[in-house]
Amino acid sequence: MECNGCEFRPELYYDRDYQIWVRIEEHGLLAVGMTDISQTIAGKILHVRVRKPGTPRPAGKPVATIESGKWAGPVPNLFDCTIVAANHEVLDTPGLLNAQPYDAWIARVQPAAPPHEALSALLTGEAAWAGYRARCLRDDIRCKRI
Amino acid sequence: MEKWRVIDTGLRSAAQNIALNRALLEARQAEEIPSTLRFLRFTPSALLGYHQSAEQELNLDYCRAHGVEVQRRITGGGAIYFDETQIGWELYLHKRDVGTTDMQAIARRICHAAATAISVLGVDARFRPRNDIEVDGRKISGTGGAFDGNALLFQGTLLIDFDVEKMLRVLRIPAEKLSDKAIASARERVANLKELLGRQPDVALVKSYIVEAFESEFGVEFSDGDLTLSEHARYQGALREIETPDWVHLVTRPLSDMPILEAAQKFPGGLLRASVTFDTGTQTIRQVWFTGDIFVSPRRTVADLEAVLRDLPIGRLASRIEEFFARRPVDMLSLTPNDFLTVVRLALKQPLLAHNP
Repeated sequence: MECNGCEFRPELYYDRDYQIWVRIEEHGLLAVGMTDISQTIAGKILHVRVRKPGTPRPAGKPVATIESGKWAGPVPNLFDCTIVAANHEVLDTPGLLNAQPYDAWIARVQPAAPPHEALSALLTGEAAWAGYRARCLRDDIRCKRI
Repeated sequence: MEKWRVIDTGLRSAAQNIALNRALLEARQAEEIPSTLRFLRFTPSALLGYHQSAEQELNLDYCRAHGVEVQRRITGGGAIYFDETQIGWELYLHKRDVGTTDMQAIARRICHAAATAISVLGVDARFRPRNDIEVDGRKISGTGGAFDGNALLFQGTLLIDFDVEKMLRVLRIPAEKLSDKAIASARERVANLKELLGRQPDVALVKSYIVEAFESEFGVEFSDGDLTLSEHARYQGALREIETPDWVHLVTRPLSDMPILEAAQKFPGGLLRASVTFDTGTQTIRQVWFTGDIFVSPRRTVADLEAVLRDLPIGRLASRIEEFFARRPVDMLSLTPNDFLTVVRLALKQPLLAHNP
């Protein structure tokens, strides 16, 4: 599925600004990554930093930071969690976030609450697709993979 | 007309200035303050980009011995040396102020406005992609940005006067030997207003031009203001985190992962030397300096080539050099674009030799 060339995956969970996606993994873990919208807005990503495994991240404290074209900023976090792992492929080749935004997960986290509860504030499926499309059209975001 | 605020926080330590960056960005994000232009100055400091490592970017022994404070910015970009001879300017904006979501376009727009302000002084300042403002190929203002939610901070330096030799000693740049040649070659890459104008510029006037340029670019009017109580409170909190070794060493990478590699080769067009700062982890060229006994016209071509080779994965080296020369008329006598590629590749072979003697 796509809008303005921005790919959307209905099985993932999203924040209301469609900056990040979250995927349910085995053993109650969640994977976090950047959406096609986010990577397009950021431009070519040169650095990614993920907090050390074991670091607790309350809602609002970023799981990771990125840098593109001299802009540094957080990859936001929406629920209370602990970092379990960073994707070392992404740390070594940050451009993967631009090339394959939905395959290049950034961090795996253990939510403090059970996954379905942690994800309750996020959007998925039809509701997420409607919001995602609205965001692309409202801000005239045209995605490109660099 | 919308009113924005301008403040001048004067001469401060790097930790204080960076804590103010955090405080004002947070306050802008919380909608506690209007969009703001801040002028600032630094006591002698070496400032790392947010994701950089002090070991890889700085000559730490020199900084320690000469009282140069080492700090980490919250903005991206490269390490810089900052002292009383420069002024800093910063914009704290809301995303709705800039009319686009494209971060590179936002940087371009702000840099164009800053370049206009500098040009009013009588020098031909222009934005050079990758966020530097230059005069005839020489950098006069380096910039970087940070975002948090809907708030943006974009900051730049402006070289009023500048101690190039001190910069060479503080920063680990691809000119390790402090020869006269290295200093001369650094002087070809950075410019300052005093040198360009042939006199000490009036800093108050420079600031007023910067204010006017941003007023005109964004269609707003600035009025003088002071830090608010909420900014003070946020500043105190930020300073407690930032004035610590943990913050300065938030990112640490070994020096050995980012060697400076050098090679020189004699071509029919002259002797060409490349010094390459190379990130072995990501296999990325961080920076290249070309020097040598060569003729290239226009002169700025070499500086422009160095700019497009910044932060470049080595796999793209050949195509980037080819595209660069395909797009512009350059007179190099018998030197060829391929010679630049050859000498960089030669430099990049150095670690392989070191690992496999």
